Amino acid sequence: MRRMWTHEEVRAAADGRYSELLLSRRRLLGMGAAATGAAALGPFFPRAARAEVGGTLRMMTWQGFDMIGDAQPWLDANGVKTELATITAQDDVQAKFLGGSPVPIDLTEYNQAYNRFYVDELDIIRPLEMDKIPNYNKDNIFPGFYQGERWYWDNTQWGVPFTWGLNSLVYNPAMMDKPTSYKDLLKPELAGKITITDEITGTWPIAARVAGFGAKYPNVTRDELAEIFEVMKEYRAQSKTFSPSNGDIISLFAAGDIAACFNCWSGIPFEAAKQGVKLEYVIPEEGAVMWCDAWFTPRAAENIDTAHAYINETLKPEYQAKLAKATTSGCVNHNAVALMDEETRALFNYDDLDSVFKTSPLEGIPPRESDEFATYDDWVRAYEDLKIGL
Amino acid sequence: MSPRERSGLALMAPAAGVLVFLFLIPTLILLVFSFWLSKSFVLIPAFTGENYMRALQSSGFIAVMLNSLKIGLITATVSVILSYPMAVFIVFKTRTNLFMYLVLASWFTSYLVRIYGWRMILGSNGLINSSLLAAGLIDQPLDFLLYNAVAVVVAMTHVYIPITLLMLVSALRDVSPDYIAAAKDLGAGPMQTFLGVTLPMINRGLISSFMFTCILAAGDYITPQLLGGRTGTTVGLLISNQFRQSGNWPFGASMAFISFVVFVALYFAVVVGFRVARLAPYRRYH
Repeated sequence: MRRMWTHEEVRAAADGRYSELLLSRRRLLGMGAAATGAAALGPFFPRAARAEVGGTLRMMTWQGFDMIGDAQPWLDANGVKTELATITAQDDVQAKFLGGSPVPIDLTEYNQAYNRFYVDELDIIRPLEMDKIPNYNKDNIFPGFYQGERWYWDNTQWGVPFTWGLNSLVYNPAMMDKPTSYKDLLKPELAGKITITDEITGTWPIAARVAGFGAKYPNVTRDELAEIFEVMKEYRAQSKTFSPSNGDIISLFAAGDIAACFNCWSGIPFEAAKQGVKLEYVIPEEGAVMWCDAWFTPRAAENIDTAHAYINETLKPEYQAKLAKATTSGCVNHNAVALMDEETRALFNYDDLDSVFKTSPLEGIPPRESDEFATYDDWVRAYEDLKIGL
Repeated sequence: MSPRERSGLALMAPAAGVLVFLFLIPTLILLVFSFWLSKSFVLIPAFTGENYMRALQSSGFIAVMLNSLKIGLITATVSVILSYPMAVFIVFKTRTNLFMYLVLASWFTSYLVRIYGWRMILGSNGLINSSLLAAGLIDQPLDFLLYNAVAVVVAMTHVYIPITLLMLVSALRDVSPDYIAAAKDLGAGPMQTFLGVTLPMINRGLISSFMFTCILAAGDYITPQLLGGRTGTTVGLLISNQFRQSGNWPFGASMAFISFVVFVALYFAVVVGFRVARLAPYRRYH
């Protein structure tokens, strides 16, 4: 059997010291045949992973979260080109990586709720090589975002959190008094004046809380699930619609069609202000729900080193501050707070993030399979029935 | 095979190939999946009617299916009724296509822009409410204009009228004015001429435009979501949720095939209805 080239031989070839390779005619012919075969059959086989920073980085992010514009100097300096895909719903992520021909995306993000599902059940996440992401260290990162259970288990870092925010109650002060509880949305004068965000990672835990099962979520029994959605029927009766996107919610507020939003992204007031609508977000007595997106490299990734290097770059304070401003979100590197403008800094209580974590915990999703608890499919069905009005 | 048949086959082959590879084969694969099972996004080969039974026993699916059908039927009926006079005008009264181009012009705008356009017209701060408030005719914005099934039908009628109009114009162009003149000469009134002459001659175009619009409107899940308020859940959305949120492709596939069967049954019901009413003679007059 023909032996593999040694590192020294590869280096010699790269340096142009071909004579050192002592190519025999037979070997040359063999290499030519191999190259021809590789060219012909290459498309049918997975491409080999790159072992250095450069080449094309294929990314899939929520709109605006790639921040390619601000990373351009780094990309240019490292000779990295990018191919971008946009996530429109979290389901886009798993859909790309399941099946026999997963899409070769090098870097993407997951909502914390999907951590175990992606790793333990779908096996679509590749462990990160943390020596290549030195900016993710306990001196830089807020404790709540460093090696938490949503991104680190079995001595393995599966994802690196890089952005976060809150889902809470947003209202228009010109149309209603400041609410202190989600129950305030049930006042008769608000009938037909609220919307419910059609997004499950926030709406489900808040539904559990307003029904008194917040502490148990996501592990509630089927009877408790029925009780939760019985309570939610009151909120449905008050609602004008289920909003499929943040843009839709802003449009509803701008049109004066709604006075409040159930489970609303905290960045909505900031975005609505651009349209001249003054909104406020409050954390009611039921609390808010924190979301946090983490970078991960899928199993199908090819340009792995570049993906790691890009993750590392996005954790720098300057990048974090820009990302927070551009996406109205929170940073994970505490050094970024000082670089933010006042408006962006005021979005969250960075001085006491521990209390933010207490009132607005990171939530998971219900179990996929369980005899004891209502499963994810049970929740989907109950939620669909709620929307239908059954 | 004659040269004429061979060239006909050659011309047909590209389109047929696209349909076979991108529609027929995927549809057959989906049909197979509908008899399989699923566990957390993983397909489990089987041969069971469990998914179909579950869908047919689901009150949610049945309710949404009926709601979708209702929206589809009303949208198609209104679209055809509104398109017909304009089609008659374009074909028989004027020799210009200007009016058809004006109707088709709306198709040069994005679908979503048109939907949000209707929000701007029907919303609380929209054109209608603002005008009525400014005129002092109302004190509060009218809430019933938007976020209900009526708003969905209004917007979808606007979206699909160009389709029904095009198909009806195409069908009416095959109706010779001589037949209509002959009917009048024989003493038939406008309604008798329409039912006895025009309708039987355009029945295929009419049924096609009606069913095409009905199926598209019943399957649409963007407009109902954005304009339908709490009535915005449609079959398309339920099926989509099974493929995306639940990862239960077999169950989603079974719902899709049930919808397919319902639409095919509806098509045959309409065809049979026309035949029973003696409006579909299945004979070429021209």
